[in-house]
Amino acid sequence: MKLKSPVLQNYGFSSRLFLFILSISIFVLSVTASAETQNPSSETDSVGAQTAVSEPDSAMVDSITNAEQSATAEVQKPKRKVDKYSHYRDDIKRGERFFRGLLPHNNKQASCTSCHNLLPSDTLNWNPSAMEIAIKYLDKDFASFQALVTEPSGGKMAEVHQGYEFEAADLKTVKAYLDDLAMRGPQPVKPTINRLLLFLFLGMIITWALLELIFFHKIKYKAIPLLIFLGVFGYQVKMIYEEGVNLGRSQGYEPDQPIKFSHKVHAGQNQIDCKYCHFTVEDSKSAGIPPADLCLNCHSVVREGTRSGKFEIAKVIDAVENNKPVEWVRIHDLPDHVFFSHAQHVNSGKLDCIECHGDVAEMDVLKQVEDLSMGWCLDCHRTKEVQFVDNKFYESYETLHEQLKSGEINKVTVDMIGGTDCMKCHY
Amino acid sequence: MKEQYYKSLDDLIYDARQAAEEVDSGDRKSILQMKKESRSEATSRRDFLKLFGFTIASAAIATSCQQPVQKAIPFLIQPEKIIPGEASYFASTYFDGNDYCSVLVKVRDGRPIKIEGNALSPVTRGGTNARTQASVLGLYDNKRHKNPKFKGKKISWEDGDQQILEALAEIKAKEGKLVLLTGTIISPSTNAVIQEFLAAHPGAEHIQYDVISASGMLQANEQSYGKAFIPSYDFSKADLIVSFDADFLGSWLSPIEYTKQYSERRKLVDGQRSMSRHLHFEGGMSLTGSNADERIQIRLSQEKLVIANLYNELKKLAGEQPVNLPASPVDITKVAGELIAKKGKSLVVSGSNDLETQLLVNAINELLGNYGNTIRTDVHLKLRQAMDADMAGLVDRMEAGQVDGLILYDVNPVYDYPQGERFKTALQQVPLSIALPILGEETSEHVQYICPDHHYLEAWNDAEVKSGSYSLAQPTIRPIFKTRAAQESLLKWAGNPVDFHTYIQNYWEKNIYPQAQDGQAFIDFWNSKLHDGIFESGRKEDGLSAYNGERVPTILAQVKGLKGNDALELNLYTNVSVGTGKQANNPWLQELPDPVTKICWDNYAAVSPKLAKELELEDEQLVMINDFGPIPVVVQPGQEHRTISVALGYGRVNLGTPEGTVGKNAFPLVASENGSLRYTLKQVNLQKVEGDYQLAKTQSHHSMEGRNLVRETTLEDYLANPASGNEMREELKSHLKSLYAQRKFDGFHWGMAIDLNSCTGCNACVVACSAENNVPVVGKEQVIMAREMHWIRIDRYYKGDPDNPELVRQPVMCQHCDNAPCENVCPVAATTHSNEGVNQMAYNRCIGTRYCNNNCPYKVRRFNFFDYTGADAMPGNTIDPAEMTTDLRRLVLNPDVTVRAKGVIEKCSFCIQRIQEKKLAAKNESRQLQDGEVVPACAQSCPADAIVFGDLNNKESRISKFFDDERNYHLLEELHTLPSVGYLTKVKNKTV
Repeated sequence: MKLKSPVLQNYGFSSRLFLFILSISIFVLSVTASAETQNPSSETDSVGAQTAVSEPDSAMVDSITNAEQSATAEVQKPKRKVDKYSHYRDDIKRGERFFRGLLPHNNKQASCTSCHNLLPSDTLNWNPSAMEIAIKYLDKDFASFQALVTEPSGGKMAEVHQGYEFEAADLKTVKAYLDDLAMRGPQPVKPTINRLLLFLFLGMIITWALLELIFFHKIKYKAIPLLIFLGVFGYQVKMIYEEGVNLGRSQGYEPDQPIKFSHKVHAGQNQIDCKYCHFTVEDSKSAGIPPADLCLNCHSVVREGTRSGKFEIAKVIDAVENNKPVEWVRIHDLPDHVFFSHAQHVNSGKLDCIECHGDVAEMDVLKQVEDLSMGWCLDCHRTKEVQFVDNKFYESYETLHEQLKSGEINKVTVDMIGGTDCMKCHY
Repeated sequence: MKEQYYKSLDDLIYDARQAAEEVDSGDRKSILQMKKESRSEATSRRDFLKLFGFTIASAAIATSCQQPVQKAIPFLIQPEKIIPGEASYFASTYFDGNDYCSVLVKVRDGRPIKIEGNALSPVTRGGTNARTQASVLGLYDNKRHKNPKFKGKKISWEDGDQQILEALAEIKAKEGKLVLLTGTIISPSTNAVIQEFLAAHPGAEHIQYDVISASGMLQANEQSYGKAFIPSYDFSKADLIVSFDADFLGSWLSPIEYTKQYSERRKLVDGQRSMSRHLHFEGGMSLTGSNADERIQIRLSQEKLVIANLYNELKKLAGEQPVNLPASPVDITKVAGELIAKKGKSLVVSGSNDLETQLLVNAINELLGNYGNTIRTDVHLKLRQAMDADMAGLVDRMEAGQVDGLILYDVNPVYDYPQGERFKTALQQVPLSIALPILGEETSEHVQYICPDHHYLEAWNDAEVKSGSYSLAQPTIRPIFKTRAAQESLLKWAGNPVDFHTYIQNYWEKNIYPQAQDGQAFIDFWNSKLHDGIFESGRKEDGLSAYNGERVPTILAQVKGLKGNDALELNLYTNVSVGTGKQANNPWLQELPDPVTKICWDNYAAVSPKLAKELELEDEQLVMINDFGPIPVVVQPGQEHRTISVALGYGRVNLGTPEGTVGKNAFPLVASENGSLRYTLKQVNLQKVEGDYQLAKTQSHHSMEGRNLVRETTLEDYLANPASGNEMREELKSHLKSLYAQRKFDGFHWGMAIDLNSCTGCNACVVACSAENNVPVVGKEQVIMAREMHWIRIDRYYKGDPDNPELVRQPVMCQHCDNAPCENVCPVAATTHSNEGVNQMAYNRCIGTRYCNNNCPYKVRRFNFFDYTGADAMPGNTIDPAEMTTDLRRLVLNPDVTVRAKGVIEKCSFCIQRIQEKKLAAKNESRQLQDGEVVPACAQSCPADAIVFGDLNNKESRISKFFDDERNYHLLEELHTLPSVGYLTKVKNKTV
């Protein structure tokens, strides 16, 4: 039995051609995939980019689901022997139910989880998560944990935890649950595969459409599978194109940081100059992430935040005391073959931070606003005026000065002094 | 008549048919090679399936992947003046037992990445050499000792100290003999430490041992002036330099200092119209000999005879009574005449380690009145202090079981002592042996305790290189491994557990600070000297007696004449790259082509063309020399007829990648005569053996096809007509027309000029360039396939009679043509011209067609056939012949320069990162860029100041003056490529 479509055979279509097309599409994919960096801003990542909620109570969405979806918190799994902290399984279960408010008890207070996420989550929540509390109190005894919950030392926590009365037995189970949580460490978050599934699904449709066209002939109208094939294949190409363009770019990237640091509070409400913390911005290619001891200039006095309480600020103090630097997550990350100098742009170029970083003073969680693509750089280099007259350095450009004087040109943009040369940025 | 230049002997013996055949077979060879390479890449069904699976997997990744989380970790407490992303420079001192250099260390984000010369030093004056430049890579060496060890097993410092102290106490109790064997110590503080150690262990003895010994010279001066010392030479004051096998530009005593002085007097720029004249007598072809105005071949066994005759002749000319001497093999009357005419303004030096020869040289310089002018005896050079007899005596005593304890600091006699095997066996008889090494070397394999020392970039140290010329070394990084300063170890064992930083500071306060007379407080003095890296106290030596030449007549009477002329002679020398072999594990140095033979990654036996013909030897033929070998032969034009030269410093057993494969160790050949080491063997036997051995040459694949590339003239002609040798320039200029308007550059137009008269070919620039620009090391196999990556190369051409040719050199890097042939053939515009006249290369755009490479008339573009530095995402693309992809080695990479991946072209960028850095600094300070502010790595490293860089638009700049000089010309300017690199004609001070 011959399984050949007479129509397509007329056009020279064979299984060879099919393989050829398939391998070409796959090859294109592989090329896009082999680029150095990978894309962080897949759709699910930016879902969490809801704007910050200023009132902590209203931020309480379903934190359990949030916790499951959120990215991995960069918390090290403590290396300890299990026996020392081991608890009865029942206690742990019970503690978890208590923490989540699933256990009926006679307290009128909200459940723990209504304020404390199980993990740092995409949604901004100024309160420490269960994991963070668990790690901090793993080495401490039950009495101090109990004191923390029922008789907090003051400030915001005393306000919220006012009148808390828990049975010691209940709290013990909570502690058991938290200890267990800390020892197990954060659960790995499975990578989101929605787009991949979609891609593979489309691939299956293509395969089906091709098989239908060439072998099965179940559908009367050949145009239908053909259209399906073309449409689906087109969509796949679009997906590949989009992913390819976005490779290495991370516009909108807004990861969790180890400390819930708010630029809105510092740069916005408290009006601290960017250069106070990022103090090498005028001298170095790197703007500099402030060393922890710089934070202590203020935070040796300011020990409690209006929203976050003491927990977050204590991390900075811990860092200095324990000689362990804070491991921030890098957001603006240019490829290694790009030379970029903050000093050039801020000091000589007199650019405002906002022009590239967006309105940081309005961001509770810092986010990459621009895509930092080469096209974006060049757009600016082609339009931005340099400090041509004010800066004596440019006196070496005699011809341009003459043209400026004679009115031939009315401004000197970066590209006119070599700002679009390859080796301006790549060497 | 146009003179014929040739690059190798093959060029000269030109037979069209043979040449065609060669090309053919060469092609065939490379085709075979390519086939061999591609065969492994032929696609099989399994490969297809693999690829298929891989593409599906990568498609999956492409559509769903997440970027790995990058951390940004700031300082906890930011040190003052350390700015992340900006380099800091620290003054330090490089001394490896052989070379001295005052340096600045560039430190980026906590790691030293580049060595620069310290311009404040009056000794090295900002110059460096290849080994100094490469020393930074030694810090990141996987073969370094990482822990203290006892009998090959790791041990803690506490336990080790405990055991060593007990053992030392035992020796002390039974009044045993303890010996501290070191290299020459030029550090005053270390000397104090040693004295303290000796005081704590009565009966202990300190013996110094130099690998390349100058004990003949030390002894000669002791007999002539009453003190064993090396005087301070000043080549810049000499109008006439006569050197007998003293390779003072490459390896003799203090080559960086001498190159500075030498080149200073050989420049014909900035109004200087006179230059020194240099005559060189030698057997092999050395770097210095190849730079001489006149080079006279002698056999080194006859060196004494020639010098004696010269002395006799000078005596005659000076009106004294000459004695009867056997005739000299070469005519020295002319030399004597010239010397006597330059009385007090000449300098005669000899590289011999023979006491009597050096006594004769002293007598000649004394007769010529050079002392006090070109030679100073009140300032001593401290770089060699060891007496060969001491070391020989030590080995005897060790064998006799008279040594109870031996501490080895900074020496490796098992490898580099001629009787290394004997030393090794004798070492087994020493009850307590301790080594304080940096690298895992041959000797430390055979000692009980290994107490690893810091690398010099991790340690405090000081040096007194010449009387009153002090310099300091400071740590530029925290110790990478569990090492401890050797001085601290010695202090600990002397019962004074103080850290060496405190010790050195105290020492300076007590001993050196009083020499300063500017009334500063000590801490200010210390800080300013640490900042400068140097301190000049002006201290002079005294206690010398008047010249005593009483032995000279006896020597003259005993000089023997020629006896037959048939015996072959072996000349052992150190080259500019590997030197004594201390840095043999440094791939930058191993891949550095020798300035004369252009061979890297091996040593070889250089023979003269005549001898090769007689014995039917060819390049790469294996031979045995006595029982040394087999070693490949290289036919070397200019080699004395019956002299064979072999480089020392190769063949280290446990170094190199793979271990022990780089060359053959020639140290066991070094002879001993009258108690001092001899680097010339008078009668050797050369035996052809079966087979040949492929050498990695960078020579024959840069051929420039006999065009007028190096332009040359003589001083006489130059004085008559400054454009002499360069007459064709004007003529060419009139021919050069272009359809296009010449490009104008507003702002800056960068240019470089190279004074061929200054360049000695020392290769410092090549290593400096590699360090600055992350130039990969490709390994021997790849060099053989003409795939070396150096962005700057030093071409050398021979001229004249192959048996006694002249040699010229020319550094070539990208010429940054304003009419660049490479730019308009690139299909993807990866190489373009910048607004400032720089030929740019955008690696990420390059797709590797190599059209540019083919269209470049200068052949300066390099292609990454593989990934050599670990830059590539695909591990299969990497080949790593020299461990340069390990994490430790990669610490040396310059973060301001992209590390290139497989498949892209690269080339000299005029150190664009330095240009941009200085431009930005000027911009930030709102001032114009100064001339001389931008210095590329090659120019910075140059001990001869042969390279000038600057802005051609600035008519006042030094580079513009060089370009306006009548000597200036461009390489292949007839092609109208309009290079931004200019060359100044070479002027030789000779009469034709």
